[in-house]
Amino acid sequence: MQLVLIGMNHKTAPLEIRERLQLSCGDVERALPELMRLTEVREAICLSTCNRLEVISRVTDGEQAVAGLKSFIYGQGNLDIAEMERCLYVYRDLEAVRHLFRVTSSLDSMVMGEPQILGQMKEAYRRAVDHRTTGVLLNRLSHHAFLVAKRVRTETGIAGNAVSVSYAAVELAKKIFGNLKGKSVLLIGAGEMSELAARHLLRQGVGRIHIANRTYARAEEMAALFQGKPVAFDRFPEVLPEVDIVIASTGAPGYILTKEMVATALRRKRDRLLFLIDIAVPRDIDPAAGEIDNVYLYNIDHLQDVVDANREVRKTEATKAEEIIAQEVTAFEKWFNALSVVPTIVALRGKMEGIVRGEMERSSHWLGGLEAEERLRIEWLAASIVNKILHDPIIGLKEESREKDELPYVAAVRRLFKL
Amino acid sequence: MMGIVLFKVALVVYLASAVVYGGSLWGRRVMPARFATGLMFAALVIHTFSFISRWLAEGVIPAIGLYDVLSFFAWVMAAAYLALQLRTKTRVLGAFVSPVICVIMVIASVELGGRVGASAMLKGSLVTAHVMLSITGEALFAVASCAGIMYLLQDNLIRRKKEGSLIRLFPSLRDLDRINYLCLFWGFPLLTLGILAGSFWARIVWGSHWQWDSKQVWTLLAWGLYAFLLHQRLVIGWQGRKAARWSLMVFTALAFLLIVGKLFFQTAHNFM
Repeated sequence: MQLVLIGMNHKTAPLEIRERLQLSCGDVERALPELMRLTEVREAICLSTCNRLEVISRVTDGEQAVAGLKSFIYGQGNLDIAEMERCLYVYRDLEAVRHLFRVTSSLDSMVMGEPQILGQMKEAYRRAVDHRTTGVLLNRLSHHAFLVAKRVRTETGIAGNAVSVSYAAVELAKKIFGNLKGKSVLLIGAGEMSELAARHLLRQGVGRIHIANRTYARAEEMAALFQGKPVAFDRFPEVLPEVDIVIASTGAPGYILTKEMVATALRRKRDRLLFLIDIAVPRDIDPAAGEIDNVYLYNIDHLQDVVDANREVRKTEATKAEEIIAQEVTAFEKWFNALSVVPTIVALRGKMEGIVRGEMERSSHWLGGLEAEERLRIEWLAASIVNKILHDPIIGLKEESREKDELPYVAAVRRLFKL
Repeated sequence: MMGIVLFKVALVVYLASAVVYGGSLWGRRVMPARFATGLMFAALVIHTFSFISRWLAEGVIPAIGLYDVLSFFAWVMAAAYLALQLRTKTRVLGAFVSPVICVIMVIASVELGGRVGASAMLKGSLVTAHVMLSITGEALFAVASCAGIMYLLQDNLIRRKKEGSLIRLFPSLRDLDRINYLCLFWGFPLLTLGILAGSFWARIVWGSHWQWDSKQVWTLLAWGLYAFLLHQRLVIGWQGRKAARWSLMVFTALAFLLIVGKLFFQTAHNFM
C-alpha cells in the first residue's frame, strides 16, 4: 500500500515539544509544498492541532520516505533530534489506516469523543486538496475516515454524554426544558465558572441572561459581554419569576437562595419549571429548595457525578468503536486490494492488444492485398479471440479481489505475463 | 374478511414496533425507537385499511361490538401518538404507548369471532357518534397517562441524579408535559360530546337522558375528575409532576371502574 503516517500527540510528546513544532494553521500552507518536494512522497495530508501532528502520505519507497518525513518534522521544530525521535510514532499501511480512523473518530483525543477533531481533519484534507497534494489513495482514505467517524458517532455513545461540568448542566437543562430557545437565565455571581456555563447556554439559543453580582460593575461588564441585563445583587429575587435556569456561584458563606424565595417565585411564574444549578462551594442554594415540585436542583458534586459516570460510559463505548474501526480497516483493505486488481487487468489487456497490433503489422504485407472490409473482419476476429481468452482469467481476478485478503492470482498473472 | 386479515397484519406490525421500542429502552439508544416509530406508522396505515375494508363490507362504520371498539381505541392511540411526534420529539415514549396498543389489539383479536352484528336498537348515526367520540376521548386520555408515567419516571431520574443514560434516552419533561396537556385538552371535549350524543340517544330509546346505570355513573365521575384536572391546569396553572400524577390517577380510576362495573354490576349499557 505504501502508506506512511508519522506524527506525535499529547500522549507521546510533552506540551513544550508540541508548542515548538508550531506547525499550526498558517504553517500547513508552507508545509504541504515542502512535503511534496520529498522525492518519495506522492500524496500528503498534514493535520496539525494543539494536541497532535499527523502527516499522512503515500510514498514510493517506505524506508527512504520515513527518513525524509522525519527530517521534515525535525526541520519544523528546531529541536533536539534525539528528544524528537522519542516523541514520534510511525505507522505503515493498515496500521496507518487504523490510526487515522481512530484519530478522526476521536478515540485518540485527550477528551475521548470530542467533536472538534473531525472538523480539524476535514479542514486539513481541504487544504491538501487545495494544494493538489492528494490522489486516489488519500482521497479515498480521507472520505472513508470521515465515514468511520460518523459511524462511530451514531452507532456508539462515545460522543453522547457530557464530560465537562458546564456541558453536563446544559444537557440536563435540555432534558427539563426540551429546547432552550427563548429560555432565560439568572447568574448569581459572575465568576469564571458561571461565565463558561453562560457561554454554553447561549450557544444553545438561550434568550436572556440576567446577571446579579455583589460588585455591580462586574455584573455590568459581563452583561455587556453577553448582551444580558445586570441586576442589583439584593434585588435578584425579583427577577426569579422571570427565569428558567439559575446558576449560583457566589463566595457567600451561607445560603443566599432559600426555599421560601424559590417557592414564592414559582407561584408567580407562568411556566412552572425551574432548574437551579449551584456551583458554589460553600453552597449558595438551600438544598431544601430541590424538594419543591417542578424544581430541579443540582450542585457541583451532582454535576461531577454525572460527568464521572459519563466518562465511564465513554470508556465502554470506546470498545464498540474499536470494533467498528477494525471492520472499516478491513473494508478499506478490500477496496485497496481491488484497486491493485484493476491495474493488473488493464495491463493484461494492454499487453494482449499490443500483441494483436504487432502481429497485424507483421502480416501487413499480405493483409494489404485484401479488401478493406475483409481486413476489418480479421481485426475483429483477432480481438474477439483475445477477449474470449481473457474472459475467464479476468473474472477470476475480480472474484479473488472480492473474496480473498491476499491476491495470489494477481501476483501469478503479473509474473506469467511479465506485466 | 379482508378487514380481519389486515387487522391481524396490523397487530403483528404493532407487536414488532413494540419489540423494537423495547430494544431501544434496553440498549439505551434512540435509533431503534426511530425505526419503531416508522413501524408503528406502517401498522397504523394497515390498520386504517382494515377499518375501511370492514366499513365497505358492512356498509356502516364499524363501531359496535367489543372487537371494533377496542380496535378503534388502539387506532386512536397510535394515530394520536404519531401525530404528536410531529410537534415534539418524544420517540421513546412509544415504548410506553405501543405495549398498551398491543394489549388492546390482542384482546380485540380474541373477540374477533364474537358477535359482530348489532341489534337493531344500536343502529343509527347517534350511536356511532357516541361510541367514536367517547372512545377517541378515552384513547387520548390513555396516551396522556403514558406520557404521565414517563414524566414521573424522568422527573424521578433527574431528581435522583444518578442514572445518566436513561435521562438522556427519555424525552424532556417539557415535551412529555405538553403531550399530557394536549391529550387532555382534546380528549375532554370529545368525551363530553360523546356522552352528550349517548344521552340524546338514550332519550330517544329509553325516554330519559339518565338511567343511574353503573357505567353512566362511573363515566360521569371520571368526566368530573377530568374536568377538575383541566380546570386546574388551565386556570390554576398546574403543571409537571402534579398534573402527570393526577392524569394517571384519574385514568386508572376510570379504567378500573369500567372493568369492575362490567364484572360486578348490572348495566343496561352492556352492549359490548
